[in-house]
Amino acid sequence: MDNWLKICIVVVFAVATTGNEEATPAKLLFSKQILNKYLVEGMDIVIKYSLFNVGGTAALDVQVADNTFGPQDFEVVGGQLKVTIDRIPPGSNATHVVVIRPSKYGYFNFTAAEVSYLPSEYAAEALVGLSSEPGQGAIVPFKEYDRKFSPHLLDWLSFAVMSMPSLVLPYALWYSSKTKYEAIMTQKKDK
Amino acid sequence: MTQKQKALSKEEEILLQDFSRNVSTKSNALFYGNAFIVSAIPIWLFWRIHFMDLLTSSPLFLIITCLSTYLVSFAYKKTKFVLKHKVAVKREDAISREISKMIAEDKKMNKKEKDERVLWKKNEVSDYEATTFSIFYNNALFLAVVIGLSFFLLKSFSPSFNYILSVGLSSGLIALLSTGTK
Repeated sequence: MDNWLKICIVVVFAVATTGNEEATPAKLLFSKQILNKYLVEGMDIVIKYSLFNVGGTAALDVQVADNTFGPQDFEVVGGQLKVTIDRIPPGSNATHVVVIRPSKYGYFNFTAAEVSYLPSEYAAEALVGLSSEPGQGAIVPFKEYDRKFSPHLLDWLSFAVMSMPSLVLPYALWYSSKTKYEAIMTQKKDK
Repeated sequence: MTQKQKALSKEEEILLQDFSRNVSTKSNALFYGNAFIVSAIPIWLFWRIHFMDLLTSSPLFLIITCLSTYLVSFAYKKTKFVLKHKVAVKREDAISREISKMIAEDKKMNKKEKDERVLWKKNEVSDYEATTFSIFYNNALFLAVVIGLSFFLLKSFSPSFNYILSVGLSSGLIALLSTGTK
């Protein structure tokens, strides 16, 4: 009876541990976000790439590539558009940020970036996935942005300096004559 | 019977000048010069802040500046005429006293000559003060209305329309206000 109980316990334990060894392969969720509120010609745009491993195994040799920003339209100011992450453990995430600068204004369709990774250590082929698409965005001309947001302090100061002669000079001339004759009247009253 | 034209006395000439709306050539030049300068000043704002291109917009700038110059100088003249009489009334006593003090030692001068001199001086002072105050007042009003219109009321308009309307309406407004009798 005791031996039979021990055998049952061993069998149950073996089954339980065997179930845990068959972990699900790595599966990455990939998002691409534009962090800017305004997209302006000649000004930085921050792109954030987020990878989250929802599988049971670490994702290996994760290669992120964003080929949607052509060199004739965009300049990479910070970060890289092609990145390799060695390992993303299961249940964890990784982020990557790139700063780009558009050289032209107009409507631009922000499409998906690509990711390829090995879902497990023994996987023969890499899995390929696409990120989310931020969609179409309007890159406004710098003049429009500057016109709307720049304080133009120096320009206003110059305007004030240019306006002063037209205002101060006539006022000063009028005031000097006014005070002269009012002083005469005051003297008369005093006497 | 031939009628000889009666020569106007100096007093009558001064009175005519006093009540006339016409300005002298010197005053005209002063008014048009000031009007042109103050009409050209807003071009700086539209070039630097509204980013209007100087070269491509130069015909527009020229036309509107000329129109504004005419209207602003019109406002100067009208305002000056209204102010002149008010200033003359205010300064009459002070000028009389000033002239009396100046000619106190000159016993050859009779009362008529003294009155003529007072009248002439009163005309000169009231003309001077009315001119300077008219220029100051209209310039200040014009620039304030241009800024108010272009940066608040008309800011959503395209820069060219903004310029035409803000400068045109401002100069039109001050010209209109100057036609008031008070």
